[in-house]
Amino acid sequence: MPKSDLIAGIVLLVFGLTMLAVVIPTQTSEGGDATISPALLPQICSVGITGLAVLLTLQATGRLRRGMAAGVAVPAAEWWALLAVLLAVGAAIALFVWVSPAVAAVLLIVGPMLYMGERRIWLLAGIPAALLIGAWFLFYRVLGTAIG
Amino acid sequence: MDSFLPVLEAAFAPGNLAWILFGVTLGYLVGALPGLGKGTATAVAIPLTFYLSPLAAIAFLVGIAKGSTAGSAVSAILLNTPGEPSSTPTAMAGYPLARAGKAQKALKMGLFASVIGDLFSTIVLILVAQELAEYALGIGPVELTGILAFSLVFIAGLSGRSMIKGLIAGLFGILVSCIGLEVETGSPRLTFGLIEVYDGLPLIPVAIGMLALSEMMIQIGQRQRLQEEADLLRGSGIREDRVVTLGDWRRSARAILRGCLIGTGVGILPGLGASVGSFLSYGAERRASGRGADFEETGAIEGVAAAESADNAVVPASFVPLFAIGIPGSVIAAILIGAFTIQGITPGPLLFLENRDLILGVYMSMIAASLFLLLIGYFGQNVFARIVRVSPALVMPIVVFLCCLGAYLQGGGAFGIGVMALFGVIGFFAKKYDFSFVTFLIGFVIGPSFELSLRQTLGLVTDVSELLDHPVALVFGVLAVFGVWRLTVLQRRQREAIVGD
Repeated sequence: MPKSDLIAGIVLLVFGLTMLAVVIPTQTSEGGDATISPALLPQICSVGITGLAVLLTLQATGRLRRGMAAGVAVPAAEWWALLAVLLAVGAAIALFVWVSPAVAAVLLIVGPMLYMGERRIWLLAGIPAALLIGAWFLFYRVLGTAIG
Repeated sequence: MDSFLPVLEAAFAPGNLAWILFGVTLGYLVGALPGLGKGTATAVAIPLTFYLSPLAAIAFLVGIAKGSTAGSAVSAILLNTPGEPSSTPTAMAGYPLARAGKAQKALKMGLFASVIGDLFSTIVLILVAQELAEYALGIGPVELTGILAFSLVFIAGLSGRSMIKGLIAGLFGILVSCIGLEVETGSPRLTFGLIEVYDGLPLIPVAIGMLALSEMMIQIGQRQRLQEEADLLRGSGIREDRVVTLGDWRRSARAILRGCLIGTGVGILPGLGASVGSFLSYGAERRASGRGADFEETGAIEGVAAAESADNAVVPASFVPLFAIGIPGSVIAAILIGAFTIQGITPGPLLFLENRDLILGVYMSMIAASLFLLLIGYFGQNVFARIVRVSPALVMPIVVFLCCLGAYLQGGGAFGIGVMALFGVIGFFAKKYDFSFVTFLIGFVIGPSFELSLRQTLGLVTDVSELLDHPVALVFGVLAVFGVWRLTVLQRRQREAIVGD
């Protein structure tokens, strides 16, 4: 899909240039007496990514000019799924830090279940309960360690 | 012999066997569920291994990898939905059989071929890895740099459809591996002041994010299709209890043998992956049978046998470069490096000198896992056939929870979950935009070794002419350059052929 390749090429080009111009100089020390600069490998990788991103962009532009179908890389349903999972994980982290691990775990399981259309109360209650009890039994009883 | 007895005792101790059995069962279960593959299964299970002995931990993970590879045939045959891409040929030849009421027969033949392929490849691993490791002991840093560069190029070219994207993924993996304290000076590098990443980004949350969480995001987005497939089977009632007859064995024996050889060969070469093995084997059997499109129209028991034997032979064979040289040739091998590291063991040629008993124990456990695979698959067939019908709305949230649990345990708490979520997003876009996440993970895993050997090389070789003293490195360097050129040309031809069609 040339259009998605074009987008990917441009994003990677910006990423590579940002790494070379901003991130590597500010986030890597000079190295002092080191035989080889600590920045060497990150620079090699960033130069490589930038160069290859240019090639990818040019290749995609050429294919678009030749009239190849643009295509859609990510359908709307998958964008929503990405957002839903990230929201569930983000909210679970917040609940984990400020409320309790058990509440965070329940949200992490029930949130995606509701998003996927599950409405049966006994499953919405039973699956988190079974998983939490199972995790507690496995880690605390069988393996003899602690979570949290 | 005396020194071998404790190894046997450890490998066949009830506790170890129980973990192998648990691993194979769990793997088979996850593999049977549509959309879940061996990468997801193994990555999610790693946290369970933190508290196990090294042998039980590795044996458990190998059991999961073997179980999920074989289990993916269940959803491929019954739902026409391969658990992972390498089971696609199984679906092509097996689903028509299921529609014709021969699901039990296809499932059984798939299982037998899987076990034979897996066992064959395990034996090859046992015979080859140590021999190769002895040669690898003579490899210096210059040669290692050449071999690692060649492996990455090879993997980049073969694990995706575009060499450019493969190389970007590999370089991105190495770049991410640079995060943390620099080896020589100990100064922070690309850390943004975060103390949590001074030891580098933890492998397991990165792997779980790239493999499992990103896959869940995609699968949840396709929930309607998955639900429809599950519903379709519920109403079909097409299964019929049939056995594998002597005639089926006669038709399939040659396909299984060829599949074992192809799968093992493909597995030993880094980066080719199980899909290449199963498609090559299936294609070869389709040509040899002379039945052509009939294979997909009416189904073919020998097609199932060819695909499954090769698919399952790839997994143990992909451990050859891991055990002998320390290079992960597949996702499973890359995840196993994480498990070895957690246990304080470095895979590579020294493994056979420093941890000989462990590696022998792993070999014994792998054979035991093959036998468990047969038992679990055979007696649990009806159970697994029912499990594929479970609604994705129940399965996916459980996997998301297990992903977070794993990232939490190995990634230092909530920080690990954050790392997993970040790489889940990167993995999501990598998959959607066709960048090889396999190459990324392998680049991330071999990054530190590559940097170390590159530094040593630059210290040892001050003039280009000195490379002539290192012919092995030169050969691999030339092969890497040739590989870039050749694979790019091949991929361009493939693209042009697709456009032409």
